[in-house]
Amino acid sequence: MEMLEVLVEMFEMFKSNMVNIPLIQPVIDALMNIPIVNYIVALVLWKPFFAIAILPGLGGIMIVLLLMVYWERKLTARIQWRVGPLEVFRPLRGLIQPLADGFRYFFQEVIVHVDSHRPYFVQLPILTFIPVLLPILFIPAGEIVAIRSSYAIQIIVALIALIPITIIAIGWASNSRFAYIGSVREAMMYFAYEVPFVIAVLAMILMYGSGDPYVIVEKQSVPGVIMNPIAFLVFFIATLMATSRLPFEIPEADQEIAFGPFVEYSGILFGIVMTLAYEKLYIMCLLMSILFFGGWNGISIPLLGDLSPAIWLFVKAVVVMLIVALARSIYPRFRLDQALKLGWTSMLLISLVSLALAIVIRLSGWLG
Amino acid sequence: MKVEKVEIDPISRIIGHINAISVGVKQAIKPERITVEYPRERRKLPDNFRGLILFEKDRCISCFRCAFICPANAIQMELYDNYYPSIDYSKCILCHFCVDSCPTTALKQTKIHDVAFRDLDEMVVHTDEMINPPKLVREDKITVEYKIDRELILERRKEVENLIVDVEPVERIGYHSACVNPQNCIGCALCARVCPANAISVKTEDEKRVLSIDVDKCTGCGLCVRECPTKTLSLVEVV
Repeated sequence: MEMLEVLVEMFEMFKSNMVNIPLIQPVIDALMNIPIVNYIVALVLWKPFFAIAILPGLGGIMIVLLLMVYWERKLTARIQWRVGPLEVFRPLRGLIQPLADGFRYFFQEVIVHVDSHRPYFVQLPILTFIPVLLPILFIPAGEIVAIRSSYAIQIIVALIALIPITIIAIGWASNSRFAYIGSVREAMMYFAYEVPFVIAVLAMILMYGSGDPYVIVEKQSVPGVIMNPIAFLVFFIATLMATSRLPFEIPEADQEIAFGPFVEYSGILFGIVMTLAYEKLYIMCLLMSILFFGGWNGISIPLLGDLSPAIWLFVKAVVVMLIVALARSIYPRFRLDQALKLGWTSMLLISLVSLALAIVIRLSGWLG
Repeated sequence: MKVEKVEIDPISRIIGHINAISVGVKQAIKPERITVEYPRERRKLPDNFRGLILFEKDRCISCFRCAFICPANAIQMELYDNYYPSIDYSKCILCHFCVDSCPTTALKQTKIHDVAFRDLDEMVVHTDEMINPPKLVREDKITVEYKIDRELILERRKEVENLIVDVEPVERIGYHSACVNPQNCIGCALCARVCPANAISVKTEDEKRVLSIDVDKCTGCGLCVRECPTKTLSLVEVV
């Protein structure tokens, strides 16, 4: 009986905090009358669950992965005078190619080689999801939020900083020379971007006077990118470095060390580790749109209700990601020492300038 | 001598970045693609392209010239109802010497370069397959022409190119075999044995062999001239 009471209590909790979408409200009302289905519907539409599982959480990540891989390949192909993926679902010019690749990964054999550290080698790709998905708990999209915190931005930055550790661990568990080189490079790159990145985020927090995304978004009647473009520049370059996009694709470097730390993976494990950089990119782009592009500010669509700001945030993040992909097709790769030099000289310098600019804006009392 | 570091001033560096991005964006919006979607598009090839070799039986005079000239020894003459060529494509280097040497254009060049064989044995195309070649399946609807005028320009046209080049038979001087040095003849009758058109007949009269050439039957292939050990025979123009 106690169990049932707990369930009823939880059901009441779900029902009290549901995402309100006027467009599908009649359907939800109808479903809420069916005994067991109503429990599931209430759970899915419960705001914390919705934030993690659908938007901006896992559902968003899925869409981004499918879209981003295709877009990146197609855009690079067009710029390089090729066609790109085409044959899978020809009417849409190969749009579902990433899905087909995903299926292929599923049915491929996972090879765990003799020299690898077997338990870690198999575990780590899955453990890597923890620091990748934890920041989503703290990224709010309007009213849809899992954990509301006034230190959300700081927590997100701290959790993002954990991701390279898992990648280094993957390289170590692989126990191969390419994976080792890749891990060392990843560690080096981590040193290159982390300090300017944190200073740029600090500058923005200082400028808004709070680490609470709600305060930050509310204060952006003018987008942050216009108020502090220098911090944006540092953040943008740090995003490229952190997600190993092409000018700084040093840890993965296909042509030199054949995907670096992930070289020994195959099958679905490779499918998981390959998406890691894209997930990190997605989270950093969400953070970027909150800090610099006014977060979920946008024309409210009454029919979508609570979903409208979430969609705005998602669209902004995706647009940023699509622009980031352009860098891959245009720029060649930096050497490791060049990237380190860039991180510790110009980037550190302009991040300090952005900090100074933030202090000036803060002291002028423009943002209240 | 010491190599000095190249100094690039920041303004030209920024201009370089802007140029790179603008070229990238321009190509992303309107790409100047140089690849061809092969099965659906086909690159226009020149008429003298050396592809698969087709054979027309009616024109062939069984002169063996293709077999003699083949540098890879890919052509063997097979007895069908007369001697006709068969090509081993595992040996063939597609030099088209055979096509060039053929006096009656019975062997024809084509632009077909996409041929698939299941195994090595199938690559020997025998005479009956040469006479009845398999049907050509084509998916292409667009022909792409590469035009090089300082820059490479691709011209796409909605047309299907004819891959088989029609070559009119060359009007050649008619030849026939004739005994120009009858005193040399030793009566070995090799010429009669090799003649594919059965134009040469040898009769034995008074313990002597008499050779007669039927000028109407003779195709002027020159096999007998080639075989004759004493240079009795020679080709002469048809009057």
